[in-house]
Amino acid sequence: MGVNSKPGSQALAPIPQGTEQDVLLKAVSDEIQDRGFVVAQLDKVVNWARTGSLWPLTFGLACCAVEMMHAGMSRYDLDRFGMVFRPSPRQSDVIIVAGTLTNKMAPAFRRVYDQMAEPRYVVSMGSCANGGGYYHYSYSVVRGCDRVVPVDIYVPGCPPTAEALLYGLLQLQKKIRRTGTLFR
Amino acid sequence: MSNNQIKNYNLNFGPQHPAAHGVLRLVLEMDGEVIDRADPHIGLLHRGTEKLLENKIYVQGTPYFDRLDYVAPQNQEHAFCLAIEKLTGMEVPKRAQYIRVLYAEIGRIQNHLMNICSYAMDVGAMTPFLWGFEEREILYEFCERACGARMHMNYFRPGGVAQDIPAGLTDDVRAWADRFPQVVKDIETLLTENRIFRQRTVDIGEISLEDAQDWAFSGPNLRGCGVPWDLRKSQPYDSYEEFDFDIPVGKGKNDCFARYYLRILEMYETCKIIKQACDKLDACVGEPSKCTDNKFTPPKRAEMKTSMEALIHHFKLFTEGFKVPAGETYCAVEAPKGEFAVYLVSDGTNKPYRCHIRAPGFAHLQAMDFLSKGHMLADITANIGSLDIVFGEIDR
Amino acid sequence: MSEALKELAEIISAKLAQEITSTEIQNGELILNARRDAVCKVLTFLRDDANCQFKLLMDVCGADYPARDERFDVVYNLLSIRYNLRVRVKVTTDEDTAVPSVTSIFSAAGWFERETWDLFGIYFDGHPDLRRIMTDYGFEGHPLRKDFPLTGYVELRYDDEQKRVVYEPVKLTQDFRSFDFLSPWEGMQGQLPGDEKAEGNA
Repeated sequence: MGVNSKPGSQALAPIPQGTEQDVLLKAVSDEIQDRGFVVAQLDKVVNWARTGSLWPLTFGLACCAVEMMHAGMSRYDLDRFGMVFRPSPRQSDVIIVAGTLTNKMAPAFRRVYDQMAEPRYVVSMGSCANGGGYYHYSYSVVRGCDRVVPVDIYVPGCPPTAEALLYGLLQLQKKIRRTGTLFR
Repeated sequence: MSNNQIKNYNLNFGPQHPAAHGVLRLVLEMDGEVIDRADPHIGLLHRGTEKLLENKIYVQGTPYFDRLDYVAPQNQEHAFCLAIEKLTGMEVPKRAQYIRVLYAEIGRIQNHLMNICSYAMDVGAMTPFLWGFEEREILYEFCERACGARMHMNYFRPGGVAQDIPAGLTDDVRAWADRFPQVVKDIETLLTENRIFRQRTVDIGEISLEDAQDWAFSGPNLRGCGVPWDLRKSQPYDSYEEFDFDIPVGKGKNDCFARYYLRILEMYETCKIIKQACDKLDACVGEPSKCTDNKFTPPKRAEMKTSMEALIHHFKLFTEGFKVPAGETYCAVEAPKGEFAVYLVSDGTNKPYRCHIRAPGFAHLQAMDFLSKGHMLADITANIGSLDIVFGEIDR
Repeated sequence: MSEALKELAEIISAKLAQEITSTEIQNGELILNARRDAVCKVLTFLRDDANCQFKLLMDVCGADYPARDERFDVVYNLLSIRYNLRVRVKVTTDEDTAVPSVTSIFSAAGWFERETWDLFGIYFDGHPDLRRIMTDYGFEGHPLRKDFPLTGYVELRYDDEQKRVVYEPVKLTQDFRSFDFLSPWEGMQGQLPGDEKAEGNA
């Protein structure tokens, strides 16, 4: 492509409308006309595909689930980011642990996590999932879901507002772009 | 003829399920598609709330009540605050009572919207979910304007409310309440006369009055049987006797459709109460919004910085907390799901001795086995949705 | 409301003189203390009698008073829709004695009694299905007893080598800070040494 960008650079934000965008679009369409194909870095394309359609699993446990639902609804629409909630772990990329994880639920949670296909990510939403939260000292609560699964993004709040969850998911997208590779 | 034993098929309607309304593990024994026995395993969200409450002072404990029924958090706090006020004999000023009624009814609408819209989604209709949740967002905005938090408000305190509502809020709420019945009508056009919705809900999960009383149903589940039992009318608390509203009651069978329709009608009635509350609040601007006895409610900060007595009260309240005289009480409110009650035993100190929470969902989910016998798998989701189950309060 | 409750208390103590040990009206609520073995009779009477009609068993819960001999209290809260009244029946028991189950009278008692068994260890005789309901599947102990610590004895984590969740003894990074601010002056009984003389001299 006519555009040079180093791998992992931060200049991957979409360019707004204007002359810069027109120049870029013209360069790409010229190349397609001349050669018939466009060359880009493979892992960037893969990252674009992965971040552009992160499918979360519906794993609402407690109150944070309501804010998660609100994040997916008309106002803070997650669908416009390509995130559609999937009920099955086999079809999802990211699991948003929304709510308190109790000792009784932990084996089921680990099972669901194991059923997800790689690459998979975990967003720990709310203080109960982050570190036990309001119920940290209780006898039946797992003090943070990171005792059971490896977590990528922690979203603080009790509950985090839908906007905060959205911010956390966008941070996850940035993390994927930064650290995502094709081969493990 | 071969000697085959036919066993029932055990199906785990697992803890992670989009229609389980939270963490419910329902172990189903099925004869083909028909349910023989449904055994709900709860406790997957048991967080030890009652034990934690025994170790915290009363004001530190109120946020636990928000997190019980998390779709209408304010109503649970209401019960706890009423229990404490009963034991201490605190007097709640009228303005605080009206604010509490306003937010309790806002909670009722939040709950019914959540229930109807997610019920519709479980049954297959996706659109009411989007419409209803936009209204819930507006209600969250009202909650945020009063206390700063969208969902878990921690706003109802023993003695009144944490702080007075901002100016202009009642106008916005009134404007919203004028517009809201139309939204409910729109949702109704999608569901009430819908052939598919009716086929999935009529005659499903029917229960008679004797059985409903036997299983300790309350709230809309009991009113569907034809009994006009509503704690706001029978045992009014917090100036509900001054409000003029009707109680929708079921006619005929108490099936899933009756309970759904009852909740729709309750939303119309709640709009009336909200408008009346706004009018009453406009009439008493400037009055105190919490108990004026500083032995229980903290003084204003400006006062605390100038008056010695206020400083001492502030210090005592924020270190030790107020002491509740020894005694016990069972205080119930008409939560949107049914009768939510707190059985509070106090030993005279600043921490509750025993605080038992009676959640309506606990009693309703028990009847799941009774309601689902003979029905098919697809009716399980209809039954769970119509009982209005939320695991925060069941498991505590 | 209190007159209705007082009349009801008189009717009930007249009819059930053997079974009810005492009645009291506290904070506008009627409390009946019953004998443990008679609880079924009392509840059946309350449900069926024409003056009572307490058809809804709203709540069954336990309370732990370790200082007493019979340390547990089982509390039944009933509601009558007909007369718009509430009543509370209290029964005491200790760790080893069972309480007769009332599931044959009120089906709603099923899960409430299971919960009381799980959280306190109070056994209910005649319950069709008494097993744990709230706590974890292999949980040991009865959490709401006063001698059970807040944080419990075990905590959970996932072990990558064993590929399953394991339970280990609790290790908190920061202990639960319990502030005991109960004022020594207000909590004190009796006089400070030297005060006896002050009364006489004034």
